[in-house]
Formats: sequence, structure tokens, C-alpha cells
Amino acid sequence: MKILVTAKRVEDPESKIKVKPDGSGIVQEGLKYKINPFDEIGVEEGLRLVAKHGGEVVVVSIGGKEVQEQLRHALAMGATRAVWVNHTGPLDQMGVAGLLQKVAEKEKPDLVILGKQAIDDDQNQVGQYLAEFLGWGQATFASKVESLESEQEKNKVPALQMGADNKSVRVVREVDNGLATLECALPAVVTTDLRLNLPRYASLPGIMKAKSKPIEELTPAKLSVDVTPKVQVLKMASPPPRKAGIKVPDVATLVDKLRNEAKVV
Amino acid sequence: MADVLPEAFLRAVADGFPADFLTREPGELQEYGRDWTRVHSPAPSAVAFPRTTDEVARLLALCNQYRVPVVPSGGRTGLAAGAVAARGELVLSLQRMNRMEPVELLGNTVRVQAGAVTEAVHHHCAEHGLTWPVDFASKGSSQVGGNIATNAGGVKVIRYGLTRQWVLGLQVVTAQGQVLELNGALEKNNTGADLRQLFIGSEGTLGIITEATLKLTPLPGKQDVFLFAVPDVAAVLRLFREARRAPLLLSAYEFFTDKCLARVQRHRKLRSPFEAPSGCYVLMEAEGKDAAEVEGWLGSLFERGLVTDGTMAQSPSQAIELWALRESISESLSATGLPHKNDVSLPVANLEAFCSEMDAVFGERYPGWEIALFGHIGDGNLHINIMKPEGMEKAEFLAHTKKADPTMFELVRKHGGSISAEHGIGLLKKDYLAFSRSPAELEMLRTLKRALDPNNILNPGKILDV
Ligand SMILES: Cc1cc2nc3c(=O)[nH]c(=O)nc-3n(C[C@H](O)[C@H](O)[C@H](O)COP(=O)(O)OP(=O)(O)OC[C@H]3O[C@@H](n4cnc5c(N)ncnc54)[C@H](O)[C@@H]3O)c2cc1C
Repeated sequence: MKILVTAKRVEDPESKIKVKPDGSGIVQEGLKYKINPFDEIGVEEGLRLVAKHGGEVVVVSIGGKEVQEQLRHALAMGATRAVWVNHTGPLDQMGVAGLLQKVAEKEKPDLVILGKQAIDDDQNQVGQYLAEFLGWGQATFASKVESLESEQEKNKVPALQMGADNKSVRVVREVDNGLATLECALPAVVTTDLRLNLPRYASLPGIMKAKSKPIEELTPAKLSVDVTPKVQVLKMASPPPRKAGIKVPDVATLVDKLRNEAKVV
Repeated sequence: MADVLPEAFLRAVADGFPADFLTREPGELQEYGRDWTRVHSPAPSAVAFPRTTDEVARLLALCNQYRVPVVPSGGRTGLAAGAVAARGELVLSLQRMNRMEPVELLGNTVRVQAGAVTEAVHHHCAEHGLTWPVDFASKGSSQVGGNIATNAGGVKVIRYGLTRQWVLGLQVVTAQGQVLELNGALEKNNTGADLRQLFIGSEGTLGIITEATLKLTPLPGKQDVFLFAVPDVAAVLRLFREARRAPLLLSAYEFFTDKCLARVQRHRKLRSPFEAPSGCYVLMEAEGKDAAEVEGWLGSLFERGLVTDGTMAQSPSQAIELWALRESISESLSATGLPHKNDVSLPVANLEAFCSEMDAVFGERYPGWEIALFGHIGDGNLHINIMKPEGMEKAEFLAHTKKADPTMFELVRKHGGSISAEHGIGLLKKDYLAFSRSPAELEMLRTLKRALDPNNILNPGKILDV
């Protein structure tokens, strides 16, 4: 079984993120980066699946040279090899999905796992576009029922269930009103939700081994994808700052404020 | 509890200070009457909240005149009951004195009031690429004044040393209400005995620190954070031997046992990065000089069986997650049980000998009890936490540990150690001071106290009795 997993480089939420005064983007200086947490969950799920069914996890990232850091992180967790689509400059969801489509057609994985969204732009689109471009089934927001402290989690059993003949995948997904179970024929595209698993820490031997694992370099040109963005960011702005809380002297005042000011009761 | 506040004193305060200067509200008395410790019942007679050095000075003059005992109070995160007011004292809280002046970028210094919160100072300086390298889990609440009064240590001592190294100047209010300006912002000042040093680590018994000029240092470069699994304390020390010689600049070498991790997991629901449990864990933070060299060194740790497992943070978030395992220990032990804390230090060279004998003391004094060991082992500093067994009464527990402590301290003395590495003496360790200070030293300390505070109004009964 071959599983292709995406690994987007995103700002680490531990960095202070500030919007530039002119609204053209965010201030880059001093920012630290990490792998998109949903992608980290994707890598973990991929690794569990191949541990159970055999095969390999191939990890892919699009961006400048620096995205190799995130690829190395995924390799250190246990992915076998990496594909780096070297591209700097603006890119929209269609562009990302187009590039991933070509990578998928080249790699011919049984399953592509993406995060449900990237925590920088929170778009929640690439997985859906990709499934459409490939004409494959999709199951977004893959989650699972068991608590994360379950035996299953301890033993790192995959939450995604493969069909008996490895021709389909069963996905429990989180939806607005509960959980829905989908069965998709393979190959398929799955996007991960937060509760799917707890990704492992890369072990030190794994981190060292990752340094010599192969990273294949591709470019949009080599993949014949036109990545001219169709979506343009016009302006960025910080959300309005939250007002400081107040202390109320007693319950009656609280109820009064909830009723007459906040109008929630 | 005797209410020691004379009428005349209260009238003088009401006349000379703002209306919100003093509170006697029972909830506030409970809150401000104790620090992080839970051994004594808080019982102050009032809490004062000065805003200026002048207010502190005038208040102290009144306290001295009316013999009102004063407990200086910072962030109340102290672990030695130094900021505890259990006998009707007046608590003097510095919390309103939290102003910070702009960072002085030529001398790399900053002048702050004593009530500035440690972490606020960090944020204030970080904008300029600088830091005040006093750093530990309670930094979000502890204050500069409290840090200085306890000469606090913390998790970066191995690289930066104690608080003492990072204080250039002090403003101190004496027991008589005099204001002393000690050393200003001078790096060099050889004009006789350095009085500033007298107040650093004096736990509020010699004077009230109202302002300080702090020395700053550039924020460190990229730090790598490692967590290693090793079988036991002996292996922690073996690894330390290696780390000392590694091609790395160490900024932290901390350890904790599986018992600590279990409590952290119970309280904070944090998880271990490792598949298999291990007896001990080492958290190491370091700046690598040469990546290839560091890698060779790391590889050799596994080849030589010095560690059984290990991980390195792959992002700042992961570094914070690894640090949280270490930094949540104190809080988790207190939240899930009642620890009796010993904070001992040994010359680093004597750690191995001490640790090998320590187990015998545990076996004899606490057979079958849960003992949570952790600490800044790179500084020779062990936090020994004896956990109250389930079902045992608190009083019985305290009596038992009180009887057992001398055996431990005897061992500390034998190996040339100290019975309080960084938490101070306060009320908690007072009875054992003689294990670390000679009779001649104790007499000298008493002489000093009598000279500076003849009426014994400054944190009376803390550290030692006069
Ligand atoms: C979770 C946790 C972790 C900790 N880790 C460490 C650690 O790693 N290393 C370490 O050294 N300590 C540690 N501590 C202990 C404590 O945080 C430090 O000792 C800290 O420096 C105390 O500061 P504070 O402002 O809270 O002081 P307080 O507890 O308010 O007071 C401490 C002593 O200083 C006196 N004092 C306070 N302010 C003044 C002032 N302005 N003038 C004169 N005297 C004053 C008090 O009277 C008291 O005797 C830890 C505590 C906790 C709760």
C-alpha cells in the first residue's frame, strides 16, 4: 500500500503573528515554522496504516527550499521518502491541488491523506479540489469514536479501516450533528480532523536517519501545472482586540447583564 | 491570633495614605497571608499596597515606631514559607509597584520596580532581543523583588548562574524607613563591601527591595530541546558527564523520574513522547556549535547505550510541549497530593556518591513511600518530594517527615551540600539551617540582623531567630 501525505509549512502558533501595517501580509521576521498539525496527524495515520498493511508513506510539500525542514520532520517520524515541489511565490488552493494531482498521478498512491485545513489560511479546500481533479472518492474530516487515551491509541492502531481486500477504506468523519461513516473505493482522498490520532514524536535515531532519506525535487514546470493564482489576497487585518473582562459584584448583576446587555438568556 | 496593629498606627496610616492603601478584608487576608506552601494557616492583620518607594519608606518608619512586624510579599510563589504571615503580621505587597522603565540599550540594563512580574520583564526586554535570564515555571506570577529576595535559581542556571549575577543596582527601604540606593547601574564599583549583595537572598529580613536595575543579556540563539529516556539516576549522571564534554553550549540539564511523569500525566493530561516507560528522563536544552559534530555525539549516545530512547523538538510548539513535562511537575505534585519538599544541592562532583547513599535513607526512613525526584541536576540541585501516603493524616505525615529530615540533611552535610539550594529558608527549613551554616556564621548573621533591624520588624522569625 502506498500512501501520499501532504506536509505544509505553516507559522508556529507559538510565534507572535502580526499583520503588516499596510495589510499586505504578515510580518515575517522572527517567525518560526512547523508542519501543519493536521498534516502531522495525516503522517501518523499513514504510518499506522502501513505498519498494519505494509507499504510506504511518501510525503509531499510545496514551497521554497525551507519546506525541506517539514519534509525532514515527516521523514523522521517514519515516512520513507519525500517529494518537494520547488515553488516560491503566491499559490492558491487550485494551484496546490493542481500540483498535488500531478504528483498523485505520478506516484499512483492507494490513498492520499491531507489535513482538513492548514492552520495558516484555514481554507479547508485543497483536499476537496484534489479529489475532484483526480476523480476519486473523498472523505473529509476523518475522526474516530474512541477516546485518545484508549488501548487502541496506546497500541497505535489506525483509525481508518481498510476493507478486507485493501480495495476500500472506511472513514468515521466528524460532521456538524455527530459522526458519519463513509466507505470509499480506493484510491481515495482523505482529510484529517483533530481527533484522529496523537502524532508520535520523532525519535532521535529517526531524526538522524531522516537526514539521508531521499527527497525528490520537482517544479510546477516539470509537472506542467500553471499555478497563476485565481484567488488574490486584497488585504489582511487583525481581528478587533477583545475587550477586557469585568468583575460583577453578584449573581443578580450577572443575570441582568446576560439578559439585557448580552441578550443570551 | 493576636491583632498586633495598634490603634495609633492605624490612625496614622488612615491619615497619611490613600484610602485603598490597606485592606483587612478576610478573603484578602487569606490570599495574601501565604505563599505556595500549605503548611501554615495564613493570619495577617492587614495587607498594605504601596504604589511608591516613598509610601514604603513612610510605612516602614511607622511600623518601626509602633513595632508592627512586616512580611514583604511578592508573587507569593515562594516554596519556603518566606512570604507567610501566620502571626498577625502586616503584609506589604509590592504588586502595585510594577512599573518598568524603557530598556537601556547601551548598557543592556533595565530599571524596574520590585513588583514587576518576572515574565513581564522578559516580554519587555525581548522586543530588543534581550532577556533577564531568570527563568522558571512560576515566572508568570513571581516578581523581580521576590526573585532577588530569594536569589532565585531556575532552569537556566547552568548557563547563566543565579539571580545575583543579574542585579546591578538595588533600591532598598530599611527597617527605619531610610531609602538606600545601592550600586546604581554600575558594572564596576570597588568601594568597599558591596551592600547590595547583603539584600540579595535575605528573604525580606533585612530590608524591602523597591526597585532594581537589572542586567540583561542577548536572547540566546536557536536552542534545541531534547528529551532522553534513561533507566535510573546513575544513568542521568553518566549522561551528564557526557553532556559536559559535548560539542554543545548547555542551557538546561534537568531530570525527573517516572513518578513525576505519572503525576504530570494525571494532572495535566500530558503524554510521554516515548512508547516504553523508563525510570528517569532528562530534558536538555542546548545550542549546537556544529551540526555534524552534534549529530555524531548524539549517535554515540545510542551506540554506547547511554540512553534508551530520545527525541528532539521539531518545532517551537514541540519544544514547549517537552518543557511542559518538566515545568508542570511542582504544580502537578501539589494538585494530586501533598508533597514534603526538600531542595538540596551538592557539589556537582559529589552527586554520584550522594545519590547512591540517598536510596538507603529513603529505604530506612520512608519504606514503600512514593518519592518524586526531579531537579536542576546540572547545577547539583535535587528536588526531593516525599508524597503523603493515601489515608495518612496530614499532621502525622508532617511529624514523620520532620523526624526523617535530619537523616537526609546529615547526608547532605556529609557530602558538602546545602539544605536549601534555591528556595530559601523561610519558616520551612529554619530548624535545619545549622546543617549548612557553622555556629560562627549563624552568629554573624544574627549580628547583622540586629544591626539592621534592631526592633525585629522585618519578616521576624524567618531564616533564623534573633
Ligand atoms: C511551580 C514553581 C516552580 C518554581 N521553580 C523554582 C526554581 O526553579 N528555582 C527557584 O529558585 N525557585 C523556584 N520556585 C520558587 C519561587 O518561585 C521563587 O523563589 C521566586 O523567586 C519567588 O518570587 P515571589 O515574587 O513569588 O516571592 P514571594 O514568595 O512573594 O516571596 C519570597 C521571599 O521574598 C521576600 N520578598 C518578596 N518580595 C520582596 C521585596 N520586594 N523585598 C524584600 N523581600 C521580598 C518574601 O518576604 C519571602 O521571604 C518555584 C515556585 C513554583 C511555585
